[in-house]
Amino acid sequence: MILVFSIFPLLFSLVLSFVNWDLSRLSGGIRFVGLHNFAELFTDHRFWNTAKVTAIFVVCGVILQYVVGLSIALLLNQNVRFRRFFRVVFLMPMMLTPAAVGYLGRMLFDETQGPVNDLIKHLGGPIIPWLSNSVLALPTLILTDTWEWVPFMIIVLLAGLQSLPPDVFEAASVDGASTFQVFRRITFPMLLPTTVTVMLIRGLEAFKLFDIVAVMTGGGPGNATESVTWYAYLTALTFGRLGYASAIAYILLVMIVIFSLVFLRVMRDRIAATQ
Amino acid sequence: MSLTKTVRRRAWRTVTYVLLFLWAFIALFPLYWLLITSFKQPIAVFQGPKYLPWIDFQPTLNAWKFLLTGPNHAAVLRDWRNSAIEAISSAVLAVSIGSMAGYALTRFSYKIRFLKWKNKDIAFWIISQRMLPPVVVVLPFLIMYRVVGLVDTYLGMILAYTVFNLPFAVWIMRDFFASLPLDLEESALIEGASRFKAFRLIVIPLAAPGLVATFLFCMMFAWNDYLFALMLTFSRASTIPMYIAGEGSQSYGPQWWYLSALSMMAVVPMMIVAVFVERFISRGLVVGAIK
Repeated sequence: MILVFSIFPLLFSLVLSFVNWDLSRLSGGIRFVGLHNFAELFTDHRFWNTAKVTAIFVVCGVILQYVVGLSIALLLNQNVRFRRFFRVVFLMPMMLTPAAVGYLGRMLFDETQGPVNDLIKHLGGPIIPWLSNSVLALPTLILTDTWEWVPFMIIVLLAGLQSLPPDVFEAASVDGASTFQVFRRITFPMLLPTTVTVMLIRGLEAFKLFDIVAVMTGGGPGNATESVTWYAYLTALTFGRLGYASAIAYILLVMIVIFSLVFLRVMRDRIAATQ
Repeated sequence: MSLTKTVRRRAWRTVTYVLLFLWAFIALFPLYWLLITSFKQPIAVFQGPKYLPWIDFQPTLNAWKFLLTGPNHAAVLRDWRNSAIEAISSAVLAVSIGSMAGYALTRFSYKIRFLKWKNKDIAFWIISQRMLPPVVVVLPFLIMYRVVGLVDTYLGMILAYTVFNLPFAVWIMRDFFASLPLDLEESALIEGASRFKAFRLIVIPLAAPGLVATFLFCMMFAWNDYLFALMLTFSRASTIPMYIAGEGSQSYGPQWWYLSALSMMAVVPMMIVAVFVERFISRGLVVGAIK
């Protein structure tokens, strides 16, 4: 039954992507147009822009989150006090409603009323137009997303660190290896499988980028931060073109599958090379 | 030699604590900001950032009063209640169906002949649903719901969230049941209990921590969702993220003090959930399943 439930929407939206269907005239108004939607998609500059925005968001966001998350997981993996306090606090951002997080981002990065620019001003920097500049808006979204999702990286990487066998590290310290050597030669390679998992999961999630775009920028300025999901939503509900929206959603699915396959292939080679 | 070593270790410890507290500050400051902004008067927002209540600015309850007793209070409370109803019911459904499916996948072996699939493949198929971008699924939902009249109803939203959460619930519960010992259950079966009775009286109590953790996670996903709510509801069954997003796009510009109070209403329940969930995560319950 689960099979039926899950496969039906998938097939249905595939069928949808081959038709022309107007949301305002649900009964009737369906016209089979074959590959026309996809053909249109390939020449749609607005769509290619959303694909680029989404790709930048995924790649930069996931790498940034991984670096920060791994650093904090390494710090927490030592014998520190207040451990429980840190763990609860570090977990918190990822549990919060993304729509609310989007607002929080807007408040914090506000040009004149936000504390981030205030801090920069006190340090002697200029006023930065975080969200109203078309170059900076996307990085600002990435920063907000990073704030929310570093916790996920911390949790999984910390669990990965704790499951590494302790005797290897003892042997290394007996041999007089420095902390940095231990990290580069032992910890990092042994953590690679976990790395692959977290990056893949986070990457798949990041492709769905929607909530914070809707709340923080509405796709703007211009269409500098329009994500694929945002564009599909606009196409379906604002422009009322269900078939075309389905085609967009399907291309997103294809993008995700390609991303996962390429990523897994590259990482498998890396893992094979280190062992 | 040993002296420099202790000095270096001390220095490293200090750096560790500084960095950890720095990140704790980064994680908490936005929440603090949300809290104080909800007690600010408009003027204290527009004059530029103010940090400390009573020192920088005079806190007021105006935003909260407006939120809870003002002209829109009925809509706010309705959406908050909708969020709670939809999140809790769909989480209950997802956990009950998910635990049964997870149990079945660990205790019986299935074969789907024409695909040559076994349990492992079925489980993978189920979790792969979770990787689909929701926008692929939500459009067919929209059309189906229009046809059968489920748009903007509790039932529709609860079903949508249940379907959305099921893969996760099945996956975690399967992992969890696989780690439970078999002998208690088997002796119950020998004593003549039915499968279902053994499941209900022995397996479920043993699996309680896993069930609670899964429930909390499913509830969080449903509570935080925006896309489904945006596509499938407009008033009667709409949820608190919808209300938040709608308020910010008003033509007179976002009213931060009011929005902050509203966001607090959405965020505080999840902060409480986070405290509980952390306990399960640090016991390694959920992380194994995420892999």
